[in-house]
Amino acid sequence: MQPIKWLVEFVEVRLGVKELYNRELKGYLLPRNVNAWYTLGAVLLALFTLQTLTGILLLMFYVPDAAKAFASVQYIVNEVPFGWLFRMLHAIGANVIVIALLLHMLSVLFMASYKGRREFTWLSGFIIFNLTMGICLTGYLLPWSQLSFWATTVATDAAGAIPIVGDYLVEFLRGGPTVGNQTLGRFFALHVVGMPLVLLALIGAHLFCVKRRGISPPPFGPEYHATEAKPFFEHEKHPGGVPFFPNYFVKDAAIICFFIAFLLAIIFYAPGLFFPDSAFQPADPFLTPPHIKPEWYFLWAYQALKIFPSEIIGLGVQGAFMTFLALLPFIDRGPERRPAKRPLFVTCYVLGILLIVAISIWGHYS
Amino acid sequence: MTTHVAPPQRRKFLITMLGGLGALIAAASVWPVFRFLSPVDTGGSSNQVFLARDVVAPGKAHFFQYQGKPAVILQPTPGNFVALSAVCTHLGCVVAWQEQAGEFLCPCHAGRFSADGQVLGGPPPKPLESLVVQLDGDQLKIG
Repeated sequence: MQPIKWLVEFVEVRLGVKELYNRELKGYLLPRNVNAWYTLGAVLLALFTLQTLTGILLLMFYVPDAAKAFASVQYIVNEVPFGWLFRMLHAIGANVIVIALLLHMLSVLFMASYKGRREFTWLSGFIIFNLTMGICLTGYLLPWSQLSFWATTVATDAAGAIPIVGDYLVEFLRGGPTVGNQTLGRFFALHVVGMPLVLLALIGAHLFCVKRRGISPPPFGPEYHATEAKPFFEHEKHPGGVPFFPNYFVKDAAIICFFIAFLLAIIFYAPGLFFPDSAFQPADPFLTPPHIKPEWYFLWAYQALKIFPSEIIGLGVQGAFMTFLALLPFIDRGPERRPAKRPLFVTCYVLGILLIVAISIWGHYS
Repeated sequence: MTTHVAPPQRRKFLITMLGGLGALIAAASVWPVFRFLSPVDTGGSSNQVFLARDVVAPGKAHFFQYQGKPAVILQPTPGNFVALSAVCTHLGCVVAWQEQAGEFLCPCHAGRFSADGQVLGGPPPKPLESLVVQLDGDQLKIG
């Protein structure tokens, strides 16, 4: 008997893996008209795994101390073999994750995949999105560069607009009156342990919801019919669909490769895309660099705070917008999912995207 | 003219190609990780260490780093210097100088060494490694 066949049999008689394979992979059927947008979940899993692996490697040399953090990152980048590669994969990978998350959410919104009693799936995904933003924000401080220091100062200062508790909240977030060693300590702990643990649990919950409820088929083509969700639990099956493995797994793998290629292309051809000059200067608490801006995915929120006459109104509008998005499946309850039959939603969707892009560009050049 | 290739043959060919490509990508990914994790030369592995002559008084010991590992220099009698590895040959603990007894004691398992590194008692299987030491003016050159 060949060694591989022998190994499979060895595991099979002990764990019954063939039945698992036939039921969960080969027998897990997806809608026949499933499209490439459905691969973004797998892409995100792959990217989060890459972040975890590169993060573990960086942890071996990074020193979470305000006096040593910047030098330790410089040491990783300039002295440790391939340290530059793992640092870039981690830092630029975070940006690519945000891009993939946004595309995933936008595709779910466009195809109204949150409908059909999938509120838990949407909510868990929405919290994952916000938590990822938190992980990005806490990770941004760790290199202890001028950019890190002042972007964190500005970001944490925004909480001061909240009435009554604002000032205390700012100090609480920073662990002191200003960003300092104590801020680095708590951001480091949250970035490498606290938030990733919560993220792991949420990803598990999200995948459970997706698997338990069943894949929401694309609302396109003649086979689609708008149907009211039943008042009891029902797993949405797709008889006659395509098997997840190997058919859709190959498509997942192809799109994952595309994203990895995209990430490597930025690292090799535009390494400075996300690194302005201030990212290469050690933090100086007595010298604010000119034109300090948050990362591109926070620009809309940054500019929104400046547009409104008071910061509290700006924060309120942002909070209302995010709450509306979080509760969308509870608000948009009609059975229709075809974009062509939902002109009001599609108009708001397109205008909303254009507005956020425009505000972000405005924020970048303001 | 077209050549017909049976589906099993095509499948085998594709699987072989994909396996080869996967192995290449895996190797290309593992190599940077291996290099990243390999020990970094921090400059402590120099073959020679220079110390001021007065760092070690007669009868005393001075510990320092030699090629990244602990070492010790003694001045048993005035003008006579001995340099040894301070790593016990039993299980790698660092020996301590017992000034009163004029010998080294390993605190882990009570191995004892003389001032010139010879085993006096306990479990160490061999003497402490001896290092070359030269007096060069006011400087001691070790290694």
